[in-house]
Parts: sequence; structure tokens; C-alpha cells
Amino acid sequence: MSSETQTSSQAGRPGFIWAVPAVLFFGAFAVLPMVAVVYLSFTTYGGLEAPVWAGLDNWKRLTTDPLVVNSLWLSAMLTLLSWLVQTAIALPLGVYLASKGRMRSLLAAFFFVPLLMSGAAIALLWSTLYDPNFGLASIIGPLIGVEDGNFIGNPKLAFYSVLLVIAWQFIPFHTLLYQGAARAVPVSLYEAATIDGAGRFKQFTAITLPQLRDTIVTSSVLMLVGSLAYFEIILILTGGGPGAATRILPLHMYITGFRGFDMGYASVLAVILLVLGTALSLVITKVTGFRKMASQREGL
Amino acid sequence: MSEFVTDNPEIQSETDDPPRPRALRKPRRHGGALGSWWQRINIPGGVGVAVWFVIVGVPLYFLFVSSGRESADYLANGPFSPPTNLSFDNFTTILESDFPLYFLNTFIVTVACVLIVQVLALPAAYAIVRSGKKSVARVFSFVLLGLAVPAQAVIVPLYLLITQVHLYDTLWAIILPTAAFALPLAILVLTSSLRDVPKELYEAINLDGAGSVRALFSLVLPLSRSALATIGIYTAMQAWNGFLFPLVLTQDVSVRVIQLGLWDFQGQYGLNVPVIMAAVALSLLPLLVVYLVGRRYLLAGLTAGSGK
Amino acid sequence: MFRSRQEKSGSRSQRARRVIPATLAVLAVGALAACGGASSSTDSGAATPGGGDNGGSGAELQLWTLQNEGINGVQQAAVDRFNESSDAQISLSTYVNDPYKTKLQTSIGSANAPDIFYNWGGGNLKAYVDAGRVADLTDALDAAPDIKSKFIPSVLDVATIDGKVYGVPMQAVQPVSFFYNKDVMADAGITEFPATWTELLSVVDQLKAAGVQPIALAGSQGWTELMYLEYILDRVGGPEKFEAIRLNEEGAWKDPAVVKSMEMVQELVDHGAFGSNYAAVSYDNNGSQALLTSGKAAMELMGSWEVTSLNDSFPDFLAAGTLGWADFPVIEGGAGDPGNIVGNPSNFYSVTSDSDDVEAATQFLLTQMASDEYVDALISVGQVPAITGLGERVKVGQFADFNAYAYNLVLDSPTFTQSWDQALAPDLAQTMLLNIQQVFNKQMTPQEFADAMDAAA
Repeated sequence: MSSETQTSSQAGRPGFIWAVPAVLFFGAFAVLPMVAVVYLSFTTYGGLEAPVWAGLDNWKRLTTDPLVVNSLWLSAMLTLLSWLVQTAIALPLGVYLASKGRMRSLLAAFFFVPLLMSGAAIALLWSTLYDPNFGLASIIGPLIGVEDGNFIGNPKLAFYSVLLVIAWQFIPFHTLLYQGAARAVPVSLYEAATIDGAGRFKQFTAITLPQLRDTIVTSSVLMLVGSLAYFEIILILTGGGPGAATRILPLHMYITGFRGFDMGYASVLAVILLVLGTALSLVITKVTGFRKMASQREGL
Repeated sequence: MSEFVTDNPEIQSETDDPPRPRALRKPRRHGGALGSWWQRINIPGGVGVAVWFVIVGVPLYFLFVSSGRESADYLANGPFSPPTNLSFDNFTTILESDFPLYFLNTFIVTVACVLIVQVLALPAAYAIVRSGKKSVARVFSFVLLGLAVPAQAVIVPLYLLITQVHLYDTLWAIILPTAAFALPLAILVLTSSLRDVPKELYEAINLDGAGSVRALFSLVLPLSRSALATIGIYTAMQAWNGFLFPLVLTQDVSVRVIQLGLWDFQGQYGLNVPVIMAAVALSLLPLLVVYLVGRRYLLAGLTAGSGK
Repeated sequence: MFRSRQEKSGSRSQRARRVIPATLAVLAVGALAACGGASSSTDSGAATPGGGDNGGSGAELQLWTLQNEGINGVQQAAVDRFNESSDAQISLSTYVNDPYKTKLQTSIGSANAPDIFYNWGGGNLKAYVDAGRVADLTDALDAAPDIKSKFIPSVLDVATIDGKVYGVPMQAVQPVSFFYNKDVMADAGITEFPATWTELLSVVDQLKAAGVQPIALAGSQGWTELMYLEYILDRVGGPEKFEAIRLNEEGAWKDPAVVKSMEMVQELVDHGAFGSNYAAVSYDNNGSQALLTSGKAAMELMGSWEVTSLNDSFPDFLAAGTLGWADFPVIEGGAGDPGNIVGNPSNFYSVTSDSDDVEAATQFLLTQMASDEYVDALISVGQVPAITGLGERVKVGQFADFNAYAYNLVLDSPTFTQSWDQALAPDLAQTMLLNIQQVFNKQMTPQEFADAMDAAA
């Protein structure tokens, strides 16, 4: 047990040892690998034999790899655009669905369905739809100026096609968040504003948005941090292609490590991902006081 | 968009508020005549929702219609023509393949993960909330940091670790990392839930002479039931939909899970889209059942950790 | 699928009380099952070698191979024949392509290694040989010269590393050739398959004029596009050009022949030979085959496995006799022999050096892989084995004509270059596939390709 002095109010309180199993388990399968990946980035490892020390070789390769900058740029763009698109749709939608009405409840239940689907399921569904010769893309494409239905094979359009599917996957979730939050806004505020003659739009910006501020922060945090990890959808839909047009950082790492069997260099990319993820979370936490919010949040 | 909810019980049930003592309830909210008037003339809102309805609805329609068609029909008549013959053949094909095995594997993984997470997270959360020691408070920060780490970043060393301990290509290879990555959020949710419990209750039970073990079982466990259910569902969804760990840490058919199986079907059945869509539809089924049976818990599980 | 709204029954805490015990019961059962499920292996799993739990006095050997409906039956029959008269017992496990490579990579150094494993020879096998994991079969083969002489030498060469033989061919020779839809070609007024590059370009134009996509290409995967480069480079510069690349010689990628080949590839692309949406078409879900069989495209460059694959997925097409095949066109002024071919010379079985019974495993390979039963069985499923002197024997079964064509193609070819992505090391292969895709998508110029590959090699 701990060496801290036990006062009378310590009696009957759980000690550190209660947290030990969780810490050990998490440590072994999450933290230990985090440390190991840094080590592995300095080795040559092909999955065949044990890792062999290689010094800075892998890191130097960062400077010559033409795909790294591309991956970082794509990841950044995906994060930013996803956040914009998903928030712009989920927020108004959630607010709209929050109000009463049988119709709206039915709609809300319907919009919930994509949440039940796994990433792999959604990716398979959409890859079928995007088939340029036999899928929905072959029908809709010509209508919107893409004659050959080539969305996910066109280097210029593939990125946005993927963005759409990811949005389709996650908007329902964020809509749910905003829906819950919008319900909590007292109607008296709106009544007062209406009496003052404020229009619907003005009420939205002056009342709804500020009241939803906390939720916007939460939702955005989840989106930003989560976007670094979008993986399955892109792997299944485009495999990073065409060429490298959708090869975001996690995908670049996966292909390097598990198709090219160059796990040393893949570890370098993984470390970058790790650092970015941690930095992003730290920054956001500091800036928004999320942690304070989390620890003071009411129970469910 | 300025109309808001009333005391309509149906709608109220979709929030995740716990029932509170009457004195603490928020003041009653009215939609009233004002609400419905706004409702009628919200055209931009209506249009937007209609568009989104199409975007969500069309793929889902496609999914369910296609799974009932035959492949030749699909290829010949295009994806959206009404099916000429509805049949359940595709579903039988899927059920006669390895799909039930994948189902069983996924179920085992899910159950094991939920068990591990609940058993580990509760004492840890209890310690964080009640022990008052700095070392334990640091655990909480440690755990919070864990929330931010993308799982992809550690798959290479995980692969090394799992192969070194000879767990490659077993269900444990999936269970252990999945549970580990679900822990931070579980601990977070439980600590919040436990923090809600008034201090006096803890003190009361201590005064009764109960040690922390007894307190855990007679006080903490009963009080955190709904939070445990929430994280149970959250972990279950992580495990059920998990793709990355199975992809990297397993290969064999005998330990394949549904999500990998779906991808594999695409290779096996090629352009036999209806069969693949049937597989996708079947993979939805369990969560659908959960939704029907315990929607509140599903909702809570999904939004776990997000706050209002 | 629209769920009905359920009324909640009872208060929340009552529901919680019902859910929790149920959850715990399920979890308990699940935990037990998990322990069971993880440690026991099911039918297709891999038991550790040397288990011997079938009561036999010999070792239990694991054979790993790729899943392929047509061939697995034949392989199993060979295993059964061997098991009848042997102490050691072999059991067969099958895997899908890409995951198989990863699985092999991880397991081969571990206790879960197979005893006999399927591989592609070349660079693929070399990695394992260099790591000391593969048994040397040279002596065993030299001791059985009549068996050794049955294997086509150029094919056996692909499993020969540093002069020693590490694998035995077990499957079809898989040359790459053009396949075409006879009806579509006829409808466009094309009477003969183009024999030269110029003729090919003109046929492409003719097909486009007829409103058909000239060539089906599954461009979302690099290896389908690789085949074009393989043939063009061989025709233009001869097999030495790739040999130099394979041996990692200085500047091999920057050879003018390489650049010229890529320029010709882009010439095809610019002529619209592949249509415009090929980058979104996948081979794995039969996308290109669907184009060919539905008449939307006229030709496809593919390996000989395409015939069995088409038969599995589009049997009517084959049964109607609509499929035609032809050699890759000659390129005027090129240095390569027009009879050269590319593809997979074959696939091989190799024995792991750590196997419990290397001797028995080797015997299996020697006695079965060249045996008449095995060879005839392969032929009957449309596979042309890498065995010499078959002559008319191949001309049987459903694919008699194609078998004869493919077999003679291989026998007559001066050189048979292995698929580059199997011949090269995996990470270089990945980079190469990516860059090839980019050239096909006009995201990269031929010169940039050469420079990028030179830098990566």
C-alpha cells in the first residue's frame, strides 16, 4: 500500500491499489506500445526477425519520402474540412430535431440508423454505390457533370468522396449531441426574444448558439481528435488511392508497415501520429478547459 | 428553429437526464402555440432536413432492397430499379457460409471486452473519486491522456508484442487491446458518475465501520449501475465494430470477426452486390436489437463521455 | 427497416436491475467461451507442428496454401494420397491472398510456422531463405533426377536462389496474355486481334468509335497496370532491363527503355484505351471481368488464372465460347524477343527448415507434385502444370484449347519474367505499384517515375 500517512478520514477509503489493475492493463496494452513505437522507429524490423538497431536511418528517410508531406497535408485537410462540414450540418439538424413533434421524433429515429453501422459496413455500402460502372455513381455522375461516374478514381474528386462518406458516418452522432443539448435550452428565452421582435435567424445566433457553446466545444474536440484516426473507411473505399490522393497519415503508416513490411519506418510515421494526437489534445484541453468540464460533468 | 421541447413524455425520454428529486427539476418548458407556429413556417429548416433525409435514406434503401435481389437482376437492371423477385436466398447464402462463425467470434470478443472493462474500471474510478491521494489523482490525468491516443499509432508495437507472447491469430489478440483502449473513457464516465454521489453517503457507510471493499459492493456498485450499463454498451460497440485490431492481429478464418468477414466477402462474392449487402444488413442486426430493447442505454453508451 | 417506438416499462432503476444480472451471466458464459475459443483451434486453424494428436506415429505437418476453389480440391487429394502411405500426416489450410502474405511473414519464424508453405518464388522466397527459414531441396532433387527433369527448368529457376533449389512448382504456369470478348470485337468490325503495337492503337480507336471501352482495367490496384509495363519494357528493351532492376544495379530504373515504356503506357491512356474511370474499378470484386463479360469492354490483359476465375463468376460467358485470347503485341523496333512472356512462372511449395519432419515434407513434394494423378487433376480444373513433355495431355477438359495455348506459350518462350511485385522486395514493390498507378492516372510523368524509382531502390 502507499506510504502516505493514514489519517482517520482515510479509514475505509480505497487506496491506490484499487486503481492498479486498470493501470497495469492499460499500461501493458496501450502505454507500453507507445513507448515501444518510439524505440522501433530506430530499428529495422520486417516482422520476420527480431528488430535490429538502425540508428537514425528511418528518421532520415522522412526527408526523402515524397509521401510524408502529402499525408500530413491530407490529414490536416481532412480534419479541418470534416469539422466544418460535420458541424455545419449536425448543429442545425440537431437543433431542428430537438423540438417537439411526432414527425421530428420519427425523423430523429431514422437518422440514427447509420450509427448502428460499423465503419467497415458503411465503407462496403458506399464502395458499392460509388462503383463507376454498376453503382449509383454511374447514374448520378452524369447528372452532375461527372460523365463516367468516376468519383473515387478521380484524383481530384476522391478526397471529397471520402469526406462525404465519413461525414455520413459521423454526423448522426454529433446530431445526437446537439439534439440533447438543444432540448435543454429554456423556451422562455425564445419567447422573450420573439416578443422583442427578433427573427428566427437572429434568435438562432443570439440564443441557441451561445447556449450550445459547451456542446460545440465537446463535439469539436471529439471530431478533431477522432479525425486523426479515420482509417477503415478510407482503407476499404480507396486504399489510399488513386495514387496517393487519399493516403492520410495512418494509411501511409499501415501500408508501409503491413504491406511493405518496413515496420521501422512505419514506426516513425506512427510516432508522428502519436505526437500530433497528443499535442492536439493537450492544446484543446488547455484552451477549452475541457478537463475541468469533464470532471465536473453531471453523471448520466 | 426556436421552438423547444415540452413535457411531452415521449420526447423527454430521449434525453439522458437521470430522474431527479422534484425540487431539483428544471422549470417546466412550454412549446405552446408559439412553438407550433414556428414549426409551420420553417422552410429552410425543412428543406435542409429533406435533403439530409435523401442523403441518409437512399443508401439505406439501396442496402435493404439489394439484399433481397438476385445478382443477375442487379447487374442487368441497375441498382435502383425495383427488384423483380424478392428473395431471401442471399441471406441463406450468407448464413450458410462462415458468417455464423464470425458472428460467434465477434460475440465472444464483445462479451470479454465488456467484462474486462467493467471489472477494471469500477475500482479505479472509485479510487480516483474517493481516495484523495495525489498518486491516484495522477492516474486520472494519465487516463485522460490515453483518450487522445489514436490506436493506429501503436499497431506496429502491438503487433510485435502480440506475436512475441504467441497470441497472434487468437481472439485474445483482439480482446486485450480493444479493452485497453476502451478503459480511459470507461474510467472517465464512472468517475463522473461517482462524483455525483453526495459525499455524505460515502462517509455514512464508512462511519458504519465498512471498509472500502464493503463500500464498493454495497454502495458504489449499486449506485453506478446505469453508468456501468453505459460503458458496457460503449465498450460493446467498440468491440463489435472493431476493425483495426482484428485486421492487424489476426488472419485465420477461425478467429475472424464480422467486420473483417464483411471485407472478405467482397473478395469472395465480387460483384455479387446483393449478397454483400445481405451480409452488411445481417451485421447490423444485433445493434438493431439492442436499439429496440434498450434505446436509452444505447444512446447513453454512444454519447458516453460527451456531456450535454 | 424502421423500428417501432417502444414504450419504456417500469422505472429506470428497475430496468437497470434487470439488465445487470443478465449482463453478468452473459459475460460469465462469454468469458468461459473466450478461454475455450482462443486456445482451441477449429478445423481450418493451424495447430502447432508436432502435435500428433491423431494417434499416428508420425509427425503432424501443416501445409498452408491460398484459397482457390478449383485447386484446393486437387491439393487435398494429393495430401490424402500421401497420408495413406506415410507415417507423417499432412493437413491442409487455406488463406486469402493479401492476408496470407502477412500471416506467413509473422508465423514463419515462430512456433506456429507451417511445415510446407505456398509461395511465389523469386524475391518473395528469397527473404525467407536469407533468414534461414527454408530447407534446401537441391540434394533431394539431384537424388531423383527423373523427377527433377519433369519440372520445366525456367520455372524451377524462379525457386532457385544462389544456385540452390528451395521450392517445387505445384500449380499452373500463369503467363499473362490478352483476353477478349469475341462478340464485341466482331461487332466493331475487327477481324483479327492486333499483332503489333500500331495495330493495337488502331483497334483501340476503332473500338472507341464503336462506343465501347477498348480495354478493361482494374486500375484501383497497381498490379493490373504493372502487367502492361512488364510486357512493354520487355518488348522495347529485352528482359535484361528488368534483370538489371531486379539485381539492383546502379541506374537500372533510369534506363531510357524504362522511360520510353512509360511513355507508351501514357500513349495508350491518351488514346482512351482504358476509358476514363479505370482508377475506380477493382479486380477483387470482379469489376474488370464484369466489364468484359457484359460487353462494355473488349479486351483485358490478365494472367491465365482469369479463365478459371471467369468460369467461377461468369460461367455463361465461357460456356458460350465468347472468350478469346492472344499474345501481347509485338512492338516494332523493339529489342526484346516477341516470344518472351511475363507472369507468374508458377507457385511453389517450400519446406520450412524448422519443420518436425523435413524429410517427409520433402518426400511429399517430390512424389506428389510431379505425379500423374496430380498433374492430370490440375489439368482437369484448367491449370496447366509446370511439367515438361505433356504435349496433348493438356488439351482436355473444359478449357482444352486455352490449356494448349498457355502451355505452348510457356514452352516456346525464351524467357519467362516473373511478376515484378513478386520479384522485388516488398517495400520497393509497394512504392513501385503506387508510382505505376500515378503514371497511369497522369499524376506523374514517365521521367518522374524513373527518378522516383531510382531514388527508392
